[in-house]
Amino acid sequence: MSLVILLAVVVLAGAVLSVQAAINGRLGETVGVLRSSLLTFVVGAVSTGLLILFFEPAHAVSLLDVPKWQLSGALFGVVYMMVMVGAVPRVGTAVATVAVIVGQLGMGMLIDNFGWLGNPAIELSSSRVLAMVCLGLALVFMYRSSVRQAV
Amino acid sequence: MQSFDEVSAAPAPVARPGLRLLLLPLVILAGMGLSVEAGLLGPLGEQVGHLWATLSIFGVGSAILFLLLLFAGPQKGPELTDLPRWQLIGGFLGPMYVVVLTLATPHIGIAMTMIAILSGQVGKSVLIDHFGWFGATRKKVNAERWLALGLIVAALVLIARG
Repeated sequence: MSLVILLAVVVLAGAVLSVQAAINGRLGETVGVLRSSLLTFVVGAVSTGLLILFFEPAHAVSLLDVPKWQLSGALFGVVYMMVMVGAVPRVGTAVATVAVIVGQLGMGMLIDNFGWLGNPAIELSSSRVLAMVCLGLALVFMYRSSVRQAV
Repeated sequence: MQSFDEVSAAPAPVARPGLRLLLLPLVILAGMGLSVEAGLLGPLGEQVGHLWATLSIFGVGSAILFLLLLFAGPQKGPELTDLPRWQLIGGFLGPMYVVVLTLATPHIGIAMTMIAILSGQVGKSVLIDHFGWFGATRKKVNAERWLALGLIVAALVLIARG
C-alpha cells in the first residue's frame, strides 16, 4: 500500500473515531461509562470475530503462541478509560486532553526512536519534529476558536 | 480509544490546585499507555494477522470490563435493551480504528500514526461544521479553524515525505 493511501486511511480512522466517541459519550451519560464501554467492546469483539471467521487467511502463528506481554494492549486502554473518568471532572476536559496528547506523542516518539516493543526503530528526523510542531499549533488554534465560540 | 472532540466542551475545573498537579502526571501516563497499546498492536498484527490482533484488544477488554461491571454492583440508568438502536453503532466503529492502527504503525511509526489520527479528528470537526454534514447545523468556520486545518495538512505532508 502506498504511503499516501495509508495516511488517508489513518486520517479517516481518526474521523471515524471521533464519531464513535460522540455516540459513546451520549451512551455513557445515560447508562454509565462501564456499561457503555462493555457494550462497545463486546460488539467490537463479536464483529471482529465474524470477520475473522469469514475473511481472515490462516496464519502460522496464533494469539496463543506469541509472548503474553504482547496481549496486554487492552489493559492500557481500560486503565486509560478509568483514569479519564476520574480525572476529567477534576482537571477539566481541555487540560486532560492536552495532557493525554502530550503523553501519547511523547511515548510514541520514544517507542519509534528506540524501536521498543518489537517495533522498527525510526530516527527522529527534522520533518517529524516539524510535523509535531504543526499539530501542536493546530491544536492551539482549535482550542482558542472553541473557547471563543463558547463565550 | 479517545477523541480530541471533547475539548470543545471544556467545563471549568473544580479541583484544588494541589490535586490537579497530582492528577496531571497520571493523565499523561494514561496518554502514554495509548501509545504503548498502539506499539504492541503493530508487531502483533504482523505476526498473527491484523484482525486477530484487533480481537485480542476487544476480547480482553470485554472480559475485563465484564468483571469490573460484576464487581461494581447495580448500575443506574435504563437497560441497554431500552436504548435507541443507533446508539449501539459505536461498537462497530471501534474495530475499524484498531485495525487501522495495526496496519499503519509498522510503516509510519507510532508518533506519526497518532498525529494522523488527531488530524482526522480535527479535520472532521472543522469540515462537518462548515458543510453541515450528518445533519449538523451549518456554522461559519472562523479563520483560526481554517488555519488549524492548514497546519494539519502541512503536518500530514511532512509525514508523507518521511
